[in-house]
Amino acid sequence: MSESFLRLEGITKTFPGVKALDDVSLDVRPGEILTLLGENGAGKSTLMSVLSGLYAPDSGRILLDGKPVQLASPADALSKGIGMVHQHFMLVPNHSVLDNILLAIDNLTFKLDRAALKTRVAAIVSDLGLDLNLDTPVWKLSIGQQQWIEIIKLLVRDTRLLILDEPTAVLTPQEANKLFDFLKKLRAKGSSIIFISHKMREVMELSNRVTVLKKGRSVATVTAGDYDTSKLARLMIGEDEVPTWSKVSHAQPNVLVSVHGIEANNERGTRELDDFYLDIYAGEVLGVAGVAGNGQKALGEVLAGLRKPINGNIRLRSVDVTKDWGNGKHFSIIGHVPEDRKAQGIAPDLTVDENLVLKSYKAPEFCNFIFQKNKAIRDNAKVQVERYDIKAGPSGAKVRVLSGGNIQKVIIARELGIKPELLIALYPTRGLDIGAAGFVHSVIAKAGETGMGTLLISEDLDELLKVSDRIAVMFRGKLVGIVDPTKTTREQIGLMMAGEAPV
Amino acid sequence: MKLLIQKRQSQSALFNLMTPLLCLVLALIVVALFLVMAGVNPFAAYRDVGIEALGSAYGLSETLVQATPLIFTGLGVMLAFRMQLWNIGAEGQLYMGALGATWVALFSGITSTWLMIPMMMIMAMILGGIWAAIAGALKARYRVNEVIITLLLNYIAAGIVKYLVYGGWRDPKGYGFPQTADFPPNAILSTYFDTRLHSGFWISLVLAAILWVFTEKTVWGYELRVIGNNPRAAQYAGMNIQSKTIFVMFLSGALAALAGFAQVSGVVTRLQDNISPGYGFTAVIVAWLARRSAAGVVIVSFFFGIVYVGGDALKITYKLPESFINVFQGMLLFFLLASEYFVNHRITLVREPKTPVAV
Amino acid sequence: MKKILAAVAAFIALPMAIHAEVEVKAAFIYVGPVGDAGWTFAHDQGRKEMAKLPFVKDATYIESVPEGADAARVIRGVAQKGYNLIITTSFGYMDPTVEVAKSFPKVAFLHCAGYKTKPNVGTYFGKIEQPRFLSGMIAGKVTKSNVLGYVAAFPIPEVIRGINAFALGAQSVNPKAVVKVVWTNTWFDPGVERSAAESLLSVDCDVLAMHQDSPATLQAAEKAGKFAMGYNCDMPTFGPKGYLCAPVWNWGVYYADAAKKVHEGTWKAGADWWGIETGIVDLGPMTAAVPDDVKALVTAKRKEMIAGTFHHFTGPIKNQEGKVVVPEGKVLPDEEELKMDYFVEGVKGTIAKMKE
Repeated sequence: MSESFLRLEGITKTFPGVKALDDVSLDVRPGEILTLLGENGAGKSTLMSVLSGLYAPDSGRILLDGKPVQLASPADALSKGIGMVHQHFMLVPNHSVLDNILLAIDNLTFKLDRAALKTRVAAIVSDLGLDLNLDTPVWKLSIGQQQWIEIIKLLVRDTRLLILDEPTAVLTPQEANKLFDFLKKLRAKGSSIIFISHKMREVMELSNRVTVLKKGRSVATVTAGDYDTSKLARLMIGEDEVPTWSKVSHAQPNVLVSVHGIEANNERGTRELDDFYLDIYAGEVLGVAGVAGNGQKALGEVLAGLRKPINGNIRLRSVDVTKDWGNGKHFSIIGHVPEDRKAQGIAPDLTVDENLVLKSYKAPEFCNFIFQKNKAIRDNAKVQVERYDIKAGPSGAKVRVLSGGNIQKVIIARELGIKPELLIALYPTRGLDIGAAGFVHSVIAKAGETGMGTLLISEDLDELLKVSDRIAVMFRGKLVGIVDPTKTTREQIGLMMAGEAPV
Repeated sequence: MKLLIQKRQSQSALFNLMTPLLCLVLALIVVALFLVMAGVNPFAAYRDVGIEALGSAYGLSETLVQATPLIFTGLGVMLAFRMQLWNIGAEGQLYMGALGATWVALFSGITSTWLMIPMMMIMAMILGGIWAAIAGALKARYRVNEVIITLLLNYIAAGIVKYLVYGGWRDPKGYGFPQTADFPPNAILSTYFDTRLHSGFWISLVLAAILWVFTEKTVWGYELRVIGNNPRAAQYAGMNIQSKTIFVMFLSGALAALAGFAQVSGVVTRLQDNISPGYGFTAVIVAWLARRSAAGVVIVSFFFGIVYVGGDALKITYKLPESFINVFQGMLLFFLLASEYFVNHRITLVREPKTPVAV
Repeated sequence: MKKILAAVAAFIALPMAIHAEVEVKAAFIYVGPVGDAGWTFAHDQGRKEMAKLPFVKDATYIESVPEGADAARVIRGVAQKGYNLIITTSFGYMDPTVEVAKSFPKVAFLHCAGYKTKPNVGTYFGKIEQPRFLSGMIAGKVTKSNVLGYVAAFPIPEVIRGINAFALGAQSVNPKAVVKVVWTNTWFDPGVERSAAESLLSVDCDVLAMHQDSPATLQAAEKAGKFAMGYNCDMPTFGPKGYLCAPVWNWGVYYADAAKKVHEGTWKAGADWWGIETGIVDLGPMTAAVPDDVKALVTAKRKEMIAGTFHHFTGPIKNQEGKVVVPEGKVLPDEEELKMDYFVEGVKGTIAKMKE
């Protein structure tokens, strides 16, 4: 057991101006789950890119079974037994489970011996005790089951090290639990797993050992039993104090925005919101729970003024503003932290400074006639970078080189910078580490002091329970019910997320 | 051994500058091999190209004459590229501009010297702008691919000009040959000394400067960059992409149209059907190599001027066939475009470890 | 007495002539490649003929120079290299030639097919419509469908004259003959020429003529088993069975004359439009596909043309609307012929009309 399957020694990777990895070492043993913890920008993504063959390290060695190797590409890494499960599944929805798995096998002979292959896949499935019919088309499966297929695709290729990057982000709590069972069985069969997560509960439940990354360096590796949540947080954040935060409700009795019987379709014309009602009170944080794809995105877009509802109306302080809302006339009072922060929230090749004024570039503060006030824009960036502790790199850096967490901070800084009356935050802490997530929570809660209402859409129940004044649960475009976080349980919400009305 | 190709995270300014220069040198070396095969001393040939294109007042003036329409069309294409609008129709917009300018010069009844040139420019810009805005509107409203529309509109524009110069606009005193009458003197841009260099060149430089300020310093340029970089973010920030698409295409076409104006008013002094040897198509490459910057368009256009004029020099001095000149120009382009790839990608040779890995 | 005077005059003139004699360095600007088997090839044959003259020190050429304003750079380039006779062989070089000539008053410029002359810029052309008329006679005799096809480049007077002469020639021996015209809007594009020819073949044309720089039309007709006429130079290899003959250019006649005049110092810019009697144009050899009686008929008519007793545009000539444009007994004046912009009766085709 102590013999390492994979060992990284002194890995260093420098991007112009940034040392992303600095003398990082870690090892993974057969039959263990190693969790990788670290703040955003600590180097987790870069390290995984090195491991999966996307980046070549500048220096350092990668040893596989004690022998040094080069990983030239993801395919090369895979051929050496290292595979990555991506957050975005690469499956053909109309094909059966078996066909999707066969697609992953690259050394198939010309004449396909389906029967033999099926037996082999079936053996893996039954071995792990998975509830999976190989002939079902993939589109009929739940997200959790689709994730299993991604993992099986790696297993049929004799992958010995699985890397999972925040695998529970897309799952319901029940599905997450099933995934954990699956991973534990894999571990028992001798597979090695590198698990990346920010949810302390999961880290505590799964890990054999935890390697903590900080500012590109591996600071510590601790074994299960030697740590608790607060020790991990301290290791990760360092001598800085773990931000503690207690909830103070700023909810006011008056309704800020209410949506009445909204119906909305997505681009393909499928109904996403169906006769949806919701009131948001001034100053409150209204959490929205639901499995991804149950209309949260449409709700966020309708409220952000980016999508016109086909039915129903929106009222701002009892005034019907549906028409203007859809025309974006209320942009200046809506802060919006979008779901897909890189695809929607930023212009990646523009600088941090420029991205920080994306919503307010026309304000007299930043614009004189048609000319931009470059100094004001720069000064604003300095203030925001300091206030939100954004690790923005050298002045003039493009925003795309920032880590996910820092990009999120740029977005939040910008959106709160316009002093909105309504904040729509979709999955604002997805992919953020504990420190950053806590920071985002406290910022959102504090902004409620001014009477700003917040709609917080999230898949992280811990987050919703911790931050929200009320939690609305959505299922298939409808509101299932609203619960009080102090009087409900995770199981209760979980059931509602599956469409069961509260008792 | 394996080739590893990765997208570069960022590039230094020096690297950005040196790579194209290095590729240029490589291209010259390869062409030199061809020259040797053709029995020409490459050093002498390159010296002659340099002298012909830059070394004499006349040569320099010719280089600038070539650069002028490329600057106009290059600026137009560059502007559209900034918004990820692929305007491949600068050639057609150039022809529509020439048509508009010609109408003012010959058929509008304007006689005032003060009004003539400005009105020719305005008319050129309106026609060229509309020509491009057609593609912009179709893109904005119906998501029609602007590449196809602008490309096809090239042929229609050239066809319209042909129709007019063979028909209604033919010079009645021209023995039926396919060209309009000469422009009146007040519709002709002044030229300098005994060269073909005309004041359109200065207009193109002024426009490049204005465009540089607009794209780099104004709110409008900012919006363009955001839309070009990430349309979803632009929409999210409340920018109206549809109207901007039409407007930017209009401006793009209007700029390209000025190349047509400059050609008929400064060089040809009448409308005929071969006023452009494909400036509008070259403009696409110009804008690309200029990395979508207004200043870059001026520099690259000047470089293309040298290539055109130098190519003629090779033809005259060494009697190299036309196809050789095409090879020469094609090589330069090929290497320059390849350099773009190396600027954006890092290519490393990965050596596999000697000891085989047991799997 | 006369003889003595002449001898004295010659004696006086001789030293002056010797003094004025210069070596000719000629440069030709071509629109296409010398290997186009058409227009540029014909000019290049002429250049080679001129180069044989003892006083012609150099006769170079630059091929594939695009028409239009930028040709000025090439023309100026050769002028700067010390050539004293510069010949630009396409209409599109007219303005650039005139423009460059301004800066080189001592260089003789000759421009083909244009209409602008200057003290040192002359224009020249030949009456190709004369052999066109003769070729029309052959076509009119050979056709069975009475429908002739004509693949034409551009609707300009040069081409229109040729079509009209061809039609009149055909009608002179076959009143029922009509000529269908397809415009290609290109001088040289074998693909386009070929499809134009094929479209004519598909509407009953059984003899094709063409005003193009490539032999594509001949190849299309040969493939379809129909007859065809060449142009520019004799082209028998492109149609072993169906090739009849071709109106041809012998530019060498003119170029040798021009070189001689420049050599002697007697060259003057003018507008030369030479006819079949000078040999600059002619009908090329008729193949075996032309019946002997037709050959005799055509040969006789050619002799009349050379003798000046027959004019190819002799009235009565009606235009397409049936209006008489040349009355009975009159011939069309050169001036009218130069700007001809209408088709004669029996031609099926259209020409864009000029704004009045």
